[in-house]
Amino acid sequence: MSHVIQTRAITKVFGANGTAVHALRGIDLQVDRGEFIALIGPSGSGKSTLMAILGCLDRPSQGVYELDGEPVEGLSGADLARIRNTKIGFVFQAYNLLPKASVVRNVELPMLYAGVPRKERRQRALELLEKVGLAEKALKLPGELSGGQKQRVSIARSLANRPAILLADEPTGALDSHTGAEILALFQELNAQGNTVILVTHDLGIAALARRQVELRDGLIAHEHLDGVRP
Amino acid sequence: MTSGAFQERLREAWAEIRENLGRAVLQGLGVILGVASVLGGFSISDSMRRQSDQLYVKLGGLDKLNVNPDAVVKDGQATAMATANLGLRGADAASGQDLDPGAVAGVSVRRFARARVRSPFADQDRQVTGIGADFIPMEGYAVVTGRGFSATDLQSGSPVALLGEEASNTFFPAGQPEGRVVTVGGIPVTVVGTFQERVFRFREGQGNIFAWRNRIIALPAAFVQRRLQGDPYLRMDRVTFRVPQMGGLQAFSRELTTLLRANHRLQTDFRLDDVATRFKKRESQGRVYDLIFLLSGVLALLGGGIVNVNIQMASLKERVREVGVKMAIGASGREVFLGFMTEALLLTVLGAALGLAAGVVFSWVITASLGVPLHMQALSFVWAFLLAGVFGFAFALYPAWKASRLSPMEALRYE
Repeated sequence: MSHVIQTRAITKVFGANGTAVHALRGIDLQVDRGEFIALIGPSGSGKSTLMAILGCLDRPSQGVYELDGEPVEGLSGADLARIRNTKIGFVFQAYNLLPKASVVRNVELPMLYAGVPRKERRQRALELLEKVGLAEKALKLPGELSGGQKQRVSIARSLANRPAILLADEPTGALDSHTGAEILALFQELNAQGNTVILVTHDLGIAALARRQVELRDGLIAHEHLDGVRP
Repeated sequence: MTSGAFQERLREAWAEIRENLGRAVLQGLGVILGVASVLGGFSISDSMRRQSDQLYVKLGGLDKLNVNPDAVVKDGQATAMATANLGLRGADAASGQDLDPGAVAGVSVRRFARARVRSPFADQDRQVTGIGADFIPMEGYAVVTGRGFSATDLQSGSPVALLGEEASNTFFPAGQPEGRVVTVGGIPVTVVGTFQERVFRFREGQGNIFAWRNRIIALPAAFVQRRLQGDPYLRMDRVTFRVPQMGGLQAFSRELTTLLRANHRLQTDFRLDDVATRFKKRESQGRVYDLIFLLSGVLALLGGGIVNVNIQMASLKERVREVGVKMAIGASGREVFLGFMTEALLLTVLGAALGLAAGVVFSWVITASLGVPLHMQALSFVWAFLLAGVFGFAFALYPAWKASRLSPMEALRYE
């Protein structure tokens, strides 16, 4: 079984010597292809920092991080951008859609940076919108959609370049419980189709949906819990 | 990156502009105004210059050197040498032409006199002009009815006259003056022809500044000198040489000065007036106006550019999250930079195109209100466009660079 994510002794220190904050103190984490993981922990536990590092938005202070078999440390900003583009699909709590671009253009954007030809881009974006049940909203602006719909758009966008992992940071944090449940069901469905999903949450109820829960506390993995049998 | 990438970026930039139309219009406004003022300035000064060029053409060309008599002594007693001189004479004109027959294309002489002019219809005290052979073409006149003066007329000082349009109407209001007789200072003179009416207006609706030229009563210079004034020395009030090669004029005027001084017992009792020099002075004045217009255009572009940077920087704050999102989903710093630059350049090009149109309207309105025909040069368009391009590029660099240096993490968290 190949590890899609493998980290060894990752640390992250913010600030200078005197006022240094140790956000991560040595994280060893392995995620297999097709897993559904919940990263849990109270605020300040370092889960957002870990999420940023796993998403190549930030670099670890020390330690080794291999994503999809490719070592990440020492890569240039442009290479990190390429990795974010092709290997990672982000889903944010605040959706982070471009407010003035149409829904379909939002979904096309990662493919634009990947150099996918225009027609193919449009076609795949429409397919993805179909998949999340929003095909008829393709030409609307994000502002015209409900929160749940926006999150569906951002999930469609995250899938655009067939990434190795989906990173979702509190994806239901801004949604009511009913809509949130629908979104989570969508994640479960995507996982069932073979996507690796990493869900960051502070809600234990949501975390329970994941087969494996990794609990962070004070920059360390405090507890790992596995539901059922690993596939 | 393929060339398709640029097209892609252009399309993307166009989409961005449409999505943020208000901001784009504000940014474009600086370019529009700058380009309009550069083009407008150039066109207005071009139009004015062309207008006065036409005046010079109508005056009979620029390649002329005038020689006028001048007083040697301004105050006090003239020396014996000065008093003994005869002033500017027909002989000066002849020897000037002999000086360099290749260079001198024509010599026009003039002798003025006041005399009583009478016809069956009018009796007036008028200035009459004694002229030489090349006077008519060199001063921009043309004989429109009858004939000009023959060589014999000029040589022997025949009693013949050519009338300007006004003079003809005054002395022969019924028309057909050819063959009729007027008396000039009591001497009967036959009218042999009339000049074409001369008209020049700086602005439409203004007076004809050539009106006085239509008052001319032209007689052979020899007639004026001998018969009217009894002057055996054939003195002249002005001798004009035409030297077609612009470069040759200066050398000729030096040689002419030496020759005339020799003829005039080393007295400088004449004054050379180089039309081309006057023209050049006017040209350089025109260039000053061009510079002023260019400067004001550049200042407008500069102001527009600074406003542009401000708008970009202000909107950058609003766009930080947007840039963060783009970076999170895979845009590199380079991609963000190129995106910003493409957008700015596209705005500059669109703004410049609109600015050129505005500039045309602007210059048309100004020149129309001045009554000057509009004259625009292709080069002015090129200049205005290039300047806008340079400024658009220069002022886009900083915000684009700033945006490309954002860290995706911080940009995403930006509120």
